[in-house]
Amino acid sequence: MSQPMISLQPEPAAGHPPQATAHLLPCRVHHNGSVEPVQSFWEPKAGEDGTSTAYFRGRKLQGKAIKLPDGYRGVVAAISASASESPLGRPEEAGVVDLEAETPPRGTLQAQAEFDEMVIWGHEVAVDASADPYMRGAQEWIALAEKIHAYSAPDSKGK
Amino acid sequence: MARTRSKGAAGTADASDKKSAAAAKSSPSVYVLPAESSNPPKLFVLPKTATSSARIVTLHHPRYSRPARFLVCPEAGFFEFTSIAPPKSAPRSWLIQPTTTTVTSTTTTSDANPPSLINSQITQSPALHLATPFDPLFLLLPALFSSSSSSSSSQNDDDDRKPTPKQKRMFLSPDDHLDALPDPAGHLAALLSDCPPARRLLGARLAAVCDAVRAGDEDMYRVSEGKVLREVWGKARRMVVGDGDGAGGLPGSMEERFVRRELEAPVVGVRVSRAAVVGGGGVGDGGRSGSGSGSEAAAARSTDFSRKRATDEEEDERAEKRRKKEAEEKAKKANMSRGVRELMKVNTSGMKKMSDFFKKKT
Repeated sequence: MSQPMISLQPEPAAGHPPQATAHLLPCRVHHNGSVEPVQSFWEPKAGEDGTSTAYFRGRKLQGKAIKLPDGYRGVVAAISASASESPLGRPEEAGVVDLEAETPPRGTLQAQAEFDEMVIWGHEVAVDASADPYMRGAQEWIALAEKIHAYSAPDSKGK
Repeated sequence: MARTRSKGAAGTADASDKKSAAAAKSSPSVYVLPAESSNPPKLFVLPKTATSSARIVTLHHPRYSRPARFLVCPEAGFFEFTSIAPPKSAPRSWLIQPTTTTVTSTTTTSDANPPSLINSQITQSPALHLATPFDPLFLLLPALFSSSSSSSSSQNDDDDRKPTPKQKRMFLSPDDHLDALPDPAGHLAALLSDCPPARRLLGARLAAVCDAVRAGDEDMYRVSEGKVLREVWGKARRMVVGDGDGAGGLPGSMEERFVRRELEAPVVGVRVSRAAVVGGGGVGDGGRSGSGSGSEAAAARSTDFSRKRATDEEEDERAEKRRKKEAEEKAKKANMSRGVRELMKVNTSGMKKMSDFFKKKT
């Protein structure tokens, strides 16, 4: 119930956030945060058939890269609660409704990096594309959702 | 925060990653894991069309009838968040590794953009939040069909959701319709007051499924089942035949799960075909199949086959049972110790039974 209303952080004028690759490891790592120097334990090598190979703590992993569909971008972002409403930079209308007294908490989504490719890693063999929830979600579900939810807007806003 | 960032900058400032990796290999230094971040980043897949004026809000999801997160952009429209999380049996975590080529370019801008990610990071939670388009029409439908009107006093009726035909729905202004929408977190009200384009978007979708009358200077709307049907029909069509740009039909894994597997012949089929092969190779059948080539003969043969199959199956079952029993016995014997096995050979016919020793002495 206390979920904040989150606004996206405006793009910095300097350009895009740094590009990154999102690796989905086939194990749980009990850590959040920086793991530098990463090269000491993570050195994936691209294979010839579109998969890449890496060794992580003595185990062989096979990775399969999937591109996000056109029109979508991956964002690595942290949600931070903003204390005041001022960062919204949006002048509130004068006609204040009584609901304004209990406005929901606000937050911002701060992009730290962007990615357009995910690498899904599996133990020994690459994951099965027809069974992996990430592959199906990123490719099949987005395409299907676009079909279900498309509508012809009467205004100029064509989707 | 500043500590880890400066450390990362120092690490990546080395022009060649190879060199640092080699150095790491040669010197057995122990790395200290940086402190855990209290607010780990999450992974999102967002539409490129969404601008920075978009909001992530909690709305009542009409499909699941509970609050869910949506992305609402004044220009791109509504998007629904779907979180992908693998089952607990398949633990996963994210490793976010900056692409090396852009690291150098971003270190220069890092001062202007402090929270940008430079270090490689682990996010323990494997969740991926996908924002996919969502037709705001679906958000409106519960309110349009919920009751005759929000102004009427029938709110506490039990059959509020299914108005009887004689209860005539009223023509209402768009604002009244929007007010009738469930708003579990108060986000919808804030969104509507914050972001007039979102209100316009909802209004346009409202107009698409409603009959309208002009009352004074405002249009009043009442839901038209025919128009809702037309919209839903259009969606169904688009899913089947595609939208011109892409092929229609279900995506691969759904087709496999809900169509192909459902239509698959049951597993018994495998056994029958195996029995048929055995039957077809039989000597008696060979002679018979050569006797006629007409359709009658073929029909006779097919019935014969089916009978044969039935008996074969029974035989198969019996043989299988026998085999199982034998296997069990063999296993029992194998488990016996050598001593017990040897003792079983002893002729005990003249010996007293064990129970004799416990009888009352006479």
